Amino acid sequence: MAFLETSGVTVRFGGVTALNGVGIGAEAATVTGLIGPNGAGKTTLFNVVTGLQGANEGRVCIDGRDVSGMPVHQRARLGIARTFQRLELFGSLSVRENVQAAGQIRRLWSRRRVDVHDLADSILERIGLDELADEPAHTLPTGLARLTELGRALATQPRMLLLDEPGSGLDQAESEAFGRLLADLAGEGTGILLVEHDMDLVMAACSWIHVLDFGTHLMSGTPEEVRADVRVQEAYLGSADVAADVLGAHAAPLEVGAQG
Amino acid sequence: MGEFIGLTIAGVALGAIYAISASGLVVTYTTSGVFNFAQGAIGMFVAFVYWQLRIDMHWSGPAAVVMSLLVIAPAIGLLLQWGLIRRLNVNDRGLTLVVTVAVMVAFMGLAFAIWPQDVGHSIPLLFGPDHHFSVGGNLVSYEEVLSIVLAAVTAVGLRLLFFSTRVGTAMRGVVDDRDLIGLNGGSPQTLSALSWMIGASLGGLAGVLTASTFSLDVINLTLLVLNSFAAAMLGRLRNLPLTFVGAMIIGLADAYVTGYLQLSGWLAHLRPVLPTLFLFVVLLVLPAVRLRAGVAPVSKAVAVPSALGSLRNGAVLVGAALVAAATMHGIALTDATAGVALGIGALSIVLLSGYGGQISLAQYAFFGLGAFVFAKVGTGSVPGLLVAAAVGGAVGVVVALPALRLRGLELALSTLAFGQLAYYMFFLQPQVMGHADLAVPRLHLPGVDLEHDGTYLVFLTVVFALLSAGVLAIRRGRFGQIVIATKDSQAACASLGLNPRLAKLALFATATATATFGGALFGSAQRIVNGDQFQYVASLFILLIVYIWGVSTPGAALAGGLSLSMAPLLAVHLPTRLQALTYFLTGFGALLLVSHPEGLIPAVTGWVRGRLRAPAPARPARAPVAAVTARSAAEAA
Repeated sequence: MAFLETSGVTVRFGGVTALNGVGIGAEAATVTGLIGPNGAGKTTLFNVVTGLQGANEGRVCIDGRDVSGMPVHQRARLGIARTFQRLELFGSLSVRENVQAAGQIRRLWSRRRVDVHDLADSILERIGLDELADEPAHTLPTGLARLTELGRALATQPRMLLLDEPGSGLDQAESEAFGRLLADLAGEGTGILLVEHDMDLVMAACSWIHVLDFGTHLMSGTPEEVRADVRVQEAYLGSADVAADVLGAHAAPLEVGAQG
Repeated sequence: MGEFIGLTIAGVALGAIYAISASGLVVTYTTSGVFNFAQGAIGMFVAFVYWQLRIDMHWSGPAAVVMSLLVIAPAIGLLLQWGLIRRLNVNDRGLTLVVTVAVMVAFMGLAFAIWPQDVGHSIPLLFGPDHHFSVGGNLVSYEEVLSIVLAAVTAVGLRLLFFSTRVGTAMRGVVDDRDLIGLNGGSPQTLSALSWMIGASLGGLAGVLTASTFSLDVINLTLLVLNSFAAAMLGRLRNLPLTFVGAMIIGLADAYVTGYLQLSGWLAHLRPVLPTLFLFVVLLVLPAVRLRAGVAPVSKAVAVPSALGSLRNGAVLVGAALVAAATMHGIALTDATAGVALGIGALSIVLLSGYGGQISLAQYAFFGLGAFVFAKVGTGSVPGLLVAAAVGGAVGVVVALPALRLRGLELALSTLAFGQLAYYMFFLQPQVMGHADLAVPRLHLPGVDLEHDGTYLVFLTVVFALLSAGVLAIRRGRFGQIVIATKDSQAACASLGLNPRLAKLALFATATATATFGGALFGSAQRIVNGDQFQYVASLFILLIVYIWGVSTPGAALAGGLSLSMAPLLAVHLPTRLQALTYFLTGFGALLLVSHPEGLIPAVTGWVRGRLRAPAPARPARAPVAAVTARSAAEAA
């Protein structure tokens, strides 16, 4: 059983079905992609997994435990951490304090003792924010704010990271560096579930990809299988020709980040 | 049976007035996202305008109604929305609430200044005393019938507006997603302005009806908002039919309780707190609110002085206290001493609102509780002080528990309700304080004689300096980081494994313990206290004043305590009309928060620092990004 599994998750907002019986999984030590056009229900699924959104039907299992009905903070304590598509930084705190606060929160519920200050400094160095550590978080441009959210999530030393469009706001070079960071994290054993529109990043970093479309689970497969799938291409642009371009069929041979 | 029918009609008529006012509150809240604390105050002001036109200037009834309810009231609503609300970030709930409290106090000040309360004002019954008819042996006045009819008209009118017009549909849409309406070509600001105009008119109508049936009184009419929000809370401030049900329950409860129960002794003050009791029941049964992402307020970092800096500030304060103790005497010295004690209690506002972004409107209830416990326990000893603080923390937990499942607004409203409950059902009880004096012992410290006010002033200043250093240490430390993180994003905190309710509860209890501690010292500074000092309206003042000085700055607590304590000393030298100046200055001062949310002390020190230092060269925006890229690339290589 995968570390994170959903089965039959259905969410309705009034008359709109945002998710319809979605069942996906994400393994530890692996980068798993979750893609789909806008409105496919990716963020809603993240919210269901983390507990910010209730599901009308279906189950979510984390580390083999059914967490349906469990509040957000208890799910987090099972080892999942996330970033937000619409940023949820602690704007009154500095970048360093954002990461420290997460470490402080972890100390409230974890028996593992770590020096929060050392932890924060090493995380900031790793994500390349150490020189900006004293900047107030609310002044950061989007790309760096997303990195700060990643640093904050890392401070809880999670077993599964849910990243919601971490790549938006990063340029080509930054995005490539980011992909390598994800691969390193997976190599250390952290599972990553990645929602991302930057297809180069997704195709390069993920070893397994789930595709959602209009709230339904369209398919899952390796990057090659996803790229070759006609249904995925149609879902993306309604036409296979243009989609092939968007999905990066022209791209260089894949470097699969983590060998899953 | 006849009595029952009579009471029922009276109850429904009263409920009808509450329903009109409450539906105004709901319309404004759902469309603009702002809970209008000034709903009652606007109604009060409009009722006085009506009095001015109808009675003082002898206008005809219809002309006065049209002018006050359909011209002046909407104009007030429009002005408020356009001048204030439009410029607020409504996601900053704490500040938004404080600004509407400021509007409320400003209108009270205006009314006191224009219509001095030493002259009686009354609006006669609209139809005169002889217009009534009999139902089952009960006289039913035309006024009562009119209230019920107008409430029905309001209900039908709002229903038609919301469900049968384009504008109304858009207004309902704003609630769900402000940005979305903008995308669809609607203007949230126009809709918001419209809702403020409707809200003000309905508030004015309720005000005139209340004034003609009961009395035209600034305070009572202003606090009509308490009854209205209790009613509206049944529909979670969103649902109009449930709001009407809530209003009827409150109106009927009032009629039956006054009709059937002999209200004496302990229950003598039951009537004004009925809506409050109803509110607490509603808060207990409302389902918990789910955490939401994507609603984080735009927050600003406030500079925190270092430990050395707070030591230096403390030394300056104690020096000033030594000078004050040597030069002041009599009432001025006593008031200054009490002011410093209030400042100690007001540090709770810095903790709770400045750092935690939560609003409590019951500071004075906790001050009074502190004075009471300290008077009864420990005969002026230090353990007595600690017991008072512990009791305050425990009561804080009980007050906050039901509302913590909900949002900050519900917490603020339930603290106001608690303050009102504490005033009527506790402080006004003769066994507690009543209107008579309760002696509070001066604090005893082994080896130090604190009997003289001057010595006590210096001692309290030292306590204040130590506690504010403690508050700043909290801000810099682990608890403070978690508190601020919770303020900025509860959803993010929860997703990191924090139980946000527990964090808020811990903060609230710390704040109420601080307030109660300060209250004990306040009582001990004055040596005697009475129930009237702990009026719940005073809690609004101290909140506003601390916000004006700068709610994230401990110094603002001291400045706030002193200004509150010393202001009456100045006001006695003013003519009656100008005594409203305290209301006026407080209300309008707090309106400055719209442009300077950080408050006076940080604004002024920031300005001075900016003047002293040469402007730093602006950092190029892309530079840090480039640095990151370089680093990540280097690491990867």
